[in-house]
Amino acid sequence: MPTIDTGDTAWILMSAALVMLMTPGLALFYGGLVRRKNVLSTIMHSFFILGLVSVTWVLWGYTLAFGPDTGLGIIGALDWLALEGVTGEPSDTYATTVPHLAFMAFQMMFAIITPALITGAFAERKRFKAFVLFAVAWSTLVYAPIAHWVWSPDGWLFGLGVLDFAGGTVVHLSSGIAALVAALFIGRRTGLVEPATEPHDVPMTVLGAALLWFGWFGFNAGSALGANGLAATAFVTTNTAAAMAAITWVTISWLHKGTPSVLGAAIGAVAGLVAITPAAGFVTPAASVLIGLGVGVVCYGAAQLRLRARIDDALDVFAVHGVGGAFGALATGVFATTAVNAAAFDGLLAGNAGQLLTQVIGVVTVAAYSAVATASILFVVNLVVPIRVPGQEEEQGLDLAQHGEVAYQV
Amino acid sequence: MVIAALVSFGILLVAWILAPESPRTAAAAADAPLPEPQPLAA
Repeated sequence: MPTIDTGDTAWILMSAALVMLMTPGLALFYGGLVRRKNVLSTIMHSFFILGLVSVTWVLWGYTLAFGPDTGLGIIGALDWLALEGVTGEPSDTYATTVPHLAFMAFQMMFAIITPALITGAFAERKRFKAFVLFAVAWSTLVYAPIAHWVWSPDGWLFGLGVLDFAGGTVVHLSSGIAALVAALFIGRRTGLVEPATEPHDVPMTVLGAALLWFGWFGFNAGSALGANGLAATAFVTTNTAAAMAAITWVTISWLHKGTPSVLGAAIGAVAGLVAITPAAGFVTPAASVLIGLGVGVVCYGAAQLRLRARIDDALDVFAVHGVGGAFGALATGVFATTAVNAAAFDGLLAGNAGQLLTQVIGVVTVAAYSAVATASILFVVNLVVPIRVPGQEEEQGLDLAQHGEVAYQV
Repeated sequence: MVIAALVSFGILLVAWILAPESPRTAAAAADAPLPEPQPLAA
């Protein structure tokens, strides 16, 4: 019979609160990157999702993602609809030392931030009504199944042995691929000044990145699901990879463009946090240095390629979260070691090349499903409500045109 | 792996020494600062 551990419970509840703070942090991160006429609409995407997915997760999201399996490892059954049966007692399956409701709340914060990440791709041109429909559908039809595949003990990717400590595939790869599809579907912003529109408030973006970094300790160290040594490992690897990626990105942009970019430090840190997410509880601190270095180089290159390809993924969600998530998932297959986490598997460098192949299968299937499902959702939503605002509204700015408010009076 | 981690940081150290002192392309001039608010007349 599972019993509640008060230390574990306190840590999980605290971690849930830390992860919650990441979504407003993301709002500031994205808000600073857009033009001043679109800052409120961009912030609203994340803030509205905080409310929207909090409700859908309680009503049906949690049971679809973590409910008892329907038999094929694809989706959870509706046993826990509206959290019926999910109580203050521990679950028999998940985080058995904390109340089931605490585990549910922790997972809810992941479900909230994932569709919010996608909003950076269609910033400055998406109709709010279409965004709401898209967010509900994507959270239900893309996030919940993928979470079930990877994190339910009956999920088919979990059964294959795919390692994803805190959401490299479930959160970042899925949303990064969706962002690329959304950017291609909705098209480029009109009147875009090449090479890209300048951010209107870099300090706002840096503040957002700092809040993301802070909240990520809950995201990754909280995913140990206990107040223990594994949480400490994840905490240290998370901070190390973020730090290494930040200074790597700055260095590359310095060599490339001649100045050490403040914005680059912020974006690089986020790339490092993304890449360490699937690996945080499986790798050593030394490995996290290499993961941070690698993702700094790879994501910087991806962002430059995105610019050359003239794909208007407005806030580089694909380059940072899609590429960074895939890189981290594959790096997990290289650097994972049972010396860090005896409950996991060794990776390539510990003599288990098969784990890297397993990670490749996880990356490819999650990316493919997210791409197809996202395109289908966008197509259907566009039939109901045009996804893109009219040209004159885009010119006017979405803050005024869609929300009737402006961010700044000066 | 420990050696690789130390080497990777060393590479960054060398890069910082070799990094350029000025932008490769001229940066756009910042907008003129907003005027400071003036006290209301008594």
